[in-house]
Amino acid sequence: MRKPYQICLPILLVCLIPAVANAQAPATPPVYQGGGSFRVQCPTSTLIHPGGSGGAGNVPVNPAPDSAEAPYTGPTTRIVTKDPSGNYTYSPALTFTDNGGAIKCQQISGGDGYMTEADGNQTYMFSFGPLSGLGLIQNGQPGTLSARDFNRPYTAGPNFLNGQPNPLFDGLTAPNVLDRGANGAITDPAAIMDTGIMNGNISAPLMAFDEDDEFYLTLTNVGMIMRPDLFEQHTVHFHGYPNASSFYDGVPDASLSINIGGSFTYYYLAPDAGTYFWHCHITPPEHLQMGMVGQLYVRPRQNRAVPGTLLSQVSALQQNDLRTACFPVRDILCSTPLPVANTATHVAGAKYAYNDGDGTTRYDIDVPIQIHGFDPNFHFVGMTFNPEGFSDMKDKYFLLNGRSYPDTVGVVGYAGGPAAPATVNNTNGTTALNPDPASNAICTMSSDGFCRPSQPLPTLITLSKTGGLGGAPQKALLRIADLDVTEYQTLASNAIPMHLVGFNAKLLRDQAGNNLYVTTNSITLGGGESLDVILDSAEVPTGTYFLYTPQLDHLSNDNENFGGLMTEVVVVP
Amino acid sequence: MSHLNMKKRSAAARLLPVVVAVVALLLAASAHAAVPGIKGSSFALSASDGYSSQPDGALIYSWGYSCAGSATVPNFQPFPPDPAFPNGGCPPMQLPGPTLIVTEGVPVTVMLTNHLPAAAGRTSIIFAGFQVSTPGCATQGVLTCEAAPGATVTYTFTPTAPGTHAYYSGTQPDLQIEMGLYGAVVVLPAAPAAGCQPVGSNPQLQGKPDYRLAISAYDNTATCYDREYLFQWGEMDPKIHRQAEEQVRAAQAVSATAPAPLNVKTEPYHPSYFVINGRSMPDDMDANYAPNYPNQPYNGNPHMHPGDMVLIRVIGQGRFQHPFHEHGNHVRILGRDGNLILAQGTTTTNAATALLAGRMEFTTDTTPGQAFDGIFYWSGKGLGWDIYGHKSGDGSTCTPNANGYDTTGSATSIYYEWCADHNHALETNPIGNVAGGGSATLPDPLIATNGPWFNGTPYLGPDAVNKSRGPTPLPPGGVALQNPPEESGIAFMWHSHNEREITTNDLFPGGMLMMMLVDPPVFVIDETL
Repeated sequence: MRKPYQICLPILLVCLIPAVANAQAPATPPVYQGGGSFRVQCPTSTLIHPGGSGGAGNVPVNPAPDSAEAPYTGPTTRIVTKDPSGNYTYSPALTFTDNGGAIKCQQISGGDGYMTEADGNQTYMFSFGPLSGLGLIQNGQPGTLSARDFNRPYTAGPNFLNGQPNPLFDGLTAPNVLDRGANGAITDPAAIMDTGIMNGNISAPLMAFDEDDEFYLTLTNVGMIMRPDLFEQHTVHFHGYPNASSFYDGVPDASLSINIGGSFTYYYLAPDAGTYFWHCHITPPEHLQMGMVGQLYVRPRQNRAVPGTLLSQVSALQQNDLRTACFPVRDILCSTPLPVANTATHVAGAKYAYNDGDGTTRYDIDVPIQIHGFDPNFHFVGMTFNPEGFSDMKDKYFLLNGRSYPDTVGVVGYAGGPAAPATVNNTNGTTALNPDPASNAICTMSSDGFCRPSQPLPTLITLSKTGGLGGAPQKALLRIADLDVTEYQTLASNAIPMHLVGFNAKLLRDQAGNNLYVTTNSITLGGGESLDVILDSAEVPTGTYFLYTPQLDHLSNDNENFGGLMTEVVVVP
Repeated sequence: MSHLNMKKRSAAARLLPVVVAVVALLLAASAHAAVPGIKGSSFALSASDGYSSQPDGALIYSWGYSCAGSATVPNFQPFPPDPAFPNGGCPPMQLPGPTLIVTEGVPVTVMLTNHLPAAAGRTSIIFAGFQVSTPGCATQGVLTCEAAPGATVTYTFTPTAPGTHAYYSGTQPDLQIEMGLYGAVVVLPAAPAAGCQPVGSNPQLQGKPDYRLAISAYDNTATCYDREYLFQWGEMDPKIHRQAEEQVRAAQAVSATAPAPLNVKTEPYHPSYFVINGRSMPDDMDANYAPNYPNQPYNGNPHMHPGDMVLIRVIGQGRFQHPFHEHGNHVRILGRDGNLILAQGTTTTNAATALLAGRMEFTTDTTPGQAFDGIFYWSGKGLGWDIYGHKSGDGSTCTPNANGYDTTGSATSIYYEWCADHNHALETNPIGNVAGGGSATLPDPLIATNGPWFNGTPYLGPDAVNKSRGPTPLPPGGVALQNPPEESGIAFMWHSHNEREITTNDLFPGGMLMMMLVDPPVFVIDETL
């Protein structure tokens, strides 16, 4: 009874009509996997990424968009008269400006689950869990897959997380080996339920893709098994997507939101590179506090430059397509003005935070960091069928990627407790691999007696002074997003300088091309903000350093007076 | 949570007349916003008490500034108040105070008369960011000259630069600002920046009404705009207001005129109302000067057409920071507290054409007492599909200008369409008369819930919405509410991302939340409604 507003009460029937226009059968066979109302989309070719060699005037930059990346060499033009299926003819022909890119897909469940706080308290969540890329997610990697890998059968096992056998289990799969099917999307309805129930993660599944990609994100609503009284919808809000359509913006008031038992595939053409994030937008003070918050970043096309190319040349090439260009005098919101003159060139394997054109945002290691806060009273009340109050909300746990210190560094077992065993015993007599020793994903025993890796992302940052490309000192890019719903949060570095290079998914650069980077020892974010910080191991001796909050009441785990928003940076030779 | 809402609703049922009134207004024509205020160089303001209302039915004892008592009718801009609004647009008390619209370089005089209850003691105004003189000051306070009960104090200042500023009480501010004594000063540039489109002949508006107070926000070409809104954030702790009311009434019972210093506890601070221009959602989306909010004349209800450069003037009143998330695109920060932020290398000689250096933010920070000006637009650029639902061969055209948008204004085109996606299908297997072969299959509408601002399709505009439906469409929920068929806009939520603040005293939705509508070019945005 949440979605219809009070204002809907007098016209409740109108508000409850669950449909839009398209209430008739499609004219051609469906183009999704799955069954029943679970529909999972991940095509291997599209109008934007048709693949193959094409015909005259229609040669795509990326011949294999389902499985490969193509170098970025500037835009080309394609003339298109038919869609990839051949069912539709376009006359006059359509014109596409092709910058390469690929087709990426991911599937997530919307439901509930449990996590373990650093003081051992098990906390109930409304949450998203992975339904594709399970092996990657469990190992702290983005779960975003190429279309080819997404469409492979999920053959891990022998059982799904709730102990039900996986009929596709091939006896070969290790949880972190992509090619053995530990990451393929789970599209069979029974398997979706067997896996998705109680499978919530904090932070929600990590997503990452590249500029010029199409991204298919399927949200499958498996229901909240601990709250059968609720018939909650869930949505995905891609926070910061520029020039968004409201249909795919995830605000239930302005679009559709998927009911329990159904799937909604969100479709995005990748926006400009940067650190974004995503979350459910149903009753935000509740669903965000309860844990439906995730991370997302978009990699720049500069990563795909041909080695040896001047980076400023990459920027210049982008000026040839108005979608990727930046002319500040003509567009007050264009993303990245051209850099001042420089001679930086692209090195094979180098990664950048933005299309900087000068190499100043180059880094070695992605470190997504989500700042969040949990109010244990709110979560307890939410688990026990009682109404939660909003204005009394008060966070007592302060989380980096869903963990408080010392769990942020991935210690085995919980604070003060014994080391975690290699396997855990499920209640049905089977044993399961405890993900924690292998992957540092914290496993929480749920109320159904099965242990699930619900906190897969440690924030331990290890930087080698010789481990970068060519033996250079490594740099970490901290992609920091704050999803806290009650307070501003500060994260400080006691010794390693923090180089702030991006803010709200934009490079810090004035319209004249001057970089406006800030070197600091602390950053502060409100809920719904993100920024990019580079840590450079060249600037400090080897040793262990700390990122922590100087908001001292946030440096605690409820009644434990030390913990909270803190993690370690280890600089090794 | 459903329990809470059920409980709150049954409680709210006792307030049925209020609810019905709100619903009636919401069902009326969409209400829009602009930056209403009073323009001039000499203002007579009064401070007095009254009640502001909240959508949960609460009437909250408040103090506010007002233009009541002006010897002459104020020069209301950009349009006069609704005739049904009390006292010709100057209610005895209003929250926030009148927006003072002044001009760069023109001296400003503000006379403030203290009509607060005697128990409230003195009051005053701080004009943030100005060099203020207080000629003939009788009662100097710590921060500025103060008006004793019944007395008048005069402030003068000359704004030296354009921009948006806060004004607020400088007397016992922890109580008086909380009670509502705050407002905005908008300084218009003395001479419009070169290259901006004049009022009345702005091609971006395509002959539709122009509500701008000026044509540029600052003395700089990059600050031209097409439309503008002012948002003041605030929060209220009802316990403070209740204490103030009880103590004022108790003092008045003894003597109507003798001062009786209030002793209101302002800590611990625990606000449960979070307001935009003094109103919580959904009240903020009713019209400016709506008579049913007789002490809260200003709304928060932005509308825009694709490609409009929308100037947002934002002030953090109150004591909290509010990370405010503008769905739909980034905001370019132009300046803060009237200080335009320009690129390195700017000199006094090239400042009028210099490039900008303010950040682009999708969540804008506003610290207490601070104002910023920013530019937002929405154009649909880069979606990868035609949001107007055009189809190859349907006769529609899109002729890109140098920036890639159609600005021909021809009968076969849509103004400010992003031409690179023209005719590019979204849907793989469409229903109705939009192109097929696109990338996405839409979710089964029978297992989804739709929202009151949803136009029923992914598309923008009545033409696209009509042709993307099947032969027997079910009505989307939004048609009857905020997004009628002739509008068929797309809606974006603009809200505090400290999500606790989008509630009204524990009730969701509410608080610091509004829906921004991107309307198709054919829809006339009438900001006076």
